[in-house]
Amino acid sequence: MMDFTKIWRVRKDQYFSLALRYFRLIGNSGFMLSLYILFVTGSFYYARILKQLPENFPALWLFIAVFAYLLTKSPVRTFLRKGDLVFLLPVESRMKEYFRHSIRYSMVVQSFIVVLVFVALGPLFSKYISGRGLEMLITIALLLAAKLWNIKTSWEEQRLPFHRNRRNYTLLRLVVNAVFLYLLFQMAYVFLIAVLAIMYVLSNFVFGYIKKVHGYKWEHLLEVENGMMMKLYRVANLFTDVPQLAQRVRPRTWLSSLSKVSYRHSHTFDGLYRKTFFRSNDYFGIYIRLILIGGLFLFWIPQGWWHTVLVLLFLHATGIQLLPLYKHHKGNVWFELYPVKHHWRFQAFQRWLRLLMLIQAFLYVAFLLAMGGTWTNGVVSGILAVIFVWLFSEYYTKKQLLRVR
Amino acid sequence: MKKILEITGLTGGYSPDRPVLHDVSFDVHANEIVGLIGLNGAGKSTTIKHVLGLMEPSMGTTKINGKTFQEEPEEYRGQLSYIPETPILYEELTLWEHLEMTAMAYGLEEQTFLTRVRPLLAEFNMENKIKWFPGHFSKGMRQKVMILCAFLVEPELYIVDEPFVGLDPLGIHSFLELMVSFKNNGAGILMSTHILATAERYCDRFIILHEGKIAMQGTLQELKGQMGNPDATLDDIYIHASRGKRP
Repeated sequence: MMDFTKIWRVRKDQYFSLALRYFRLIGNSGFMLSLYILFVTGSFYYARILKQLPENFPALWLFIAVFAYLLTKSPVRTFLRKGDLVFLLPVESRMKEYFRHSIRYSMVVQSFIVVLVFVALGPLFSKYISGRGLEMLITIALLLAAKLWNIKTSWEEQRLPFHRNRRNYTLLRLVVNAVFLYLLFQMAYVFLIAVLAIMYVLSNFVFGYIKKVHGYKWEHLLEVENGMMMKLYRVANLFTDVPQLAQRVRPRTWLSSLSKVSYRHSHTFDGLYRKTFFRSNDYFGIYIRLILIGGLFLFWIPQGWWHTVLVLLFLHATGIQLLPLYKHHKGNVWFELYPVKHHWRFQAFQRWLRLLMLIQAFLYVAFLLAMGGTWTNGVVSGILAVIFVWLFSEYYTKKQLLRVR
Repeated sequence: MKKILEITGLTGGYSPDRPVLHDVSFDVHANEIVGLIGLNGAGKSTTIKHVLGLMEPSMGTTKINGKTFQEEPEEYRGQLSYIPETPILYEELTLWEHLEMTAMAYGLEEQTFLTRVRPLLAEFNMENKIKWFPGHFSKGMRQKVMILCAFLVEPELYIVDEPFVGLDPLGIHSFLELMVSFKNNGAGILMSTHILATAERYCDRFIILHEGKIAMQGTLQELKGQMGNPDATLDDIYIHASRGKRP
């Protein structure tokens, strides 16, 4: 007789100890200090921004958007593993017990997040929506109730066989959530009761029907679970090497033309690095995000030599974040077997990194000038950026990547 | 006949104290297919890794056209192509990009690449999949990508490790036909496999490995002679050799 409660507990504990190990690594990396500084300055600016917000600020819509997202996105952490397809499939009928733990766990964790976000947005809430304690409490209570409803229904939703079905039901939940939130934040409790009744009917009859006719979609559940593990791995991967980081590939065909290289023996690896950059993991996403965040900082911080420092800082960040691309195909036997010069691979990576950093530098300088910066400032930033990119790709990269052969 | 691959006194493995291979010597000539057969763990894959130059022998040499990997690494690698037992693909590249990258890596002229690639794709029924990513490929299709890449290069030496698993019957047929035609054009092929019926039909000679040593080698006729049974099939010979009874 299989003890599903025990299996589930063991897996949860294993996940916790794994996550803890990674968080300890992240904590040791000095990241916590940056986070702390960010938190302090962030809360300072938050208070200031709050004071400056106009009377007609659409706080209601902000709240609806934030919580509609939080409520609709209600994944269930199953802790399923690949081998389960073979070993647990035969006992599918008794898996209910196992999944009940997963659902309860997801409810606790996600309720906590909802409360956290609500507390963070508390000042906004009391300023624009309601300052009364009782209404705040009712709001939190109803938000949590809605969260539980969403987790329960989203779990049944996962039984649907096709992505399109699931998406339609998610949209349905999104609409219900939005209406619910609108009424909730308007304190229209009478109407709210009607919505709650609709939700009850939906979960018992519509989602209940799904439960009756569809079995668990094991492969889909595994995929979802994998996706959630990958999130942890990807965060940890910014600080250390995560071997389990499976490569998720997004074709992004619209970018393919940018990754074309001319056909040449010595360019064997150029195309590979470019395509990996665009299609794999999140190199491209990180690159774009860093450019945008850098741009935001340039926009916020008053003009002056600070801008030059910021440009260099963000170029440095991009360079560091893209270094793992070099080793992305580590262990691939073809790299060893191709009859190519050994240094071609590094050169290909270096060329691509340099181009990406130069594009970023160019965008920043153009942005500075467009914001009305002086030409001297722009030119100096540009020249320093080019020198920095050269030094980074020529010396730092070589030192970091070619240390061990 | 011209010797393409020449293995002499090869002793090696993952650690020098416990070699997997003991004093293995054999050749692969132009215009022949040599079957490398043996039980699981007999040393087939280790032999292949030594031939590829992925492992260094503790004694003995492997030479391609008279040169070892240590002497001329790029030239050595440029003369062989490898079809691994488990397909190894770049998840980020489409089928077409795999082929293009292989062609570039082996220094093929672009024109040569383009003239060779179309008929190959057609032969293996993959013409309409050139924009697909490996994520959408079945095991057999992945294997086909490996075969296409290897055949695209048209090297002198093919190292083929268990190519049939997962391949559909049409794919197996095309694969064998092309191997024979490359062989007739002067290539040498070393093929490791457990599918003995196919090996018996297509291989010109056999190397039977047992516990890291060559238990028997020769043409089918020679092996039958060594065993003293003119009616023996390759299966019989293999079982005989793998039970450790030397003829």
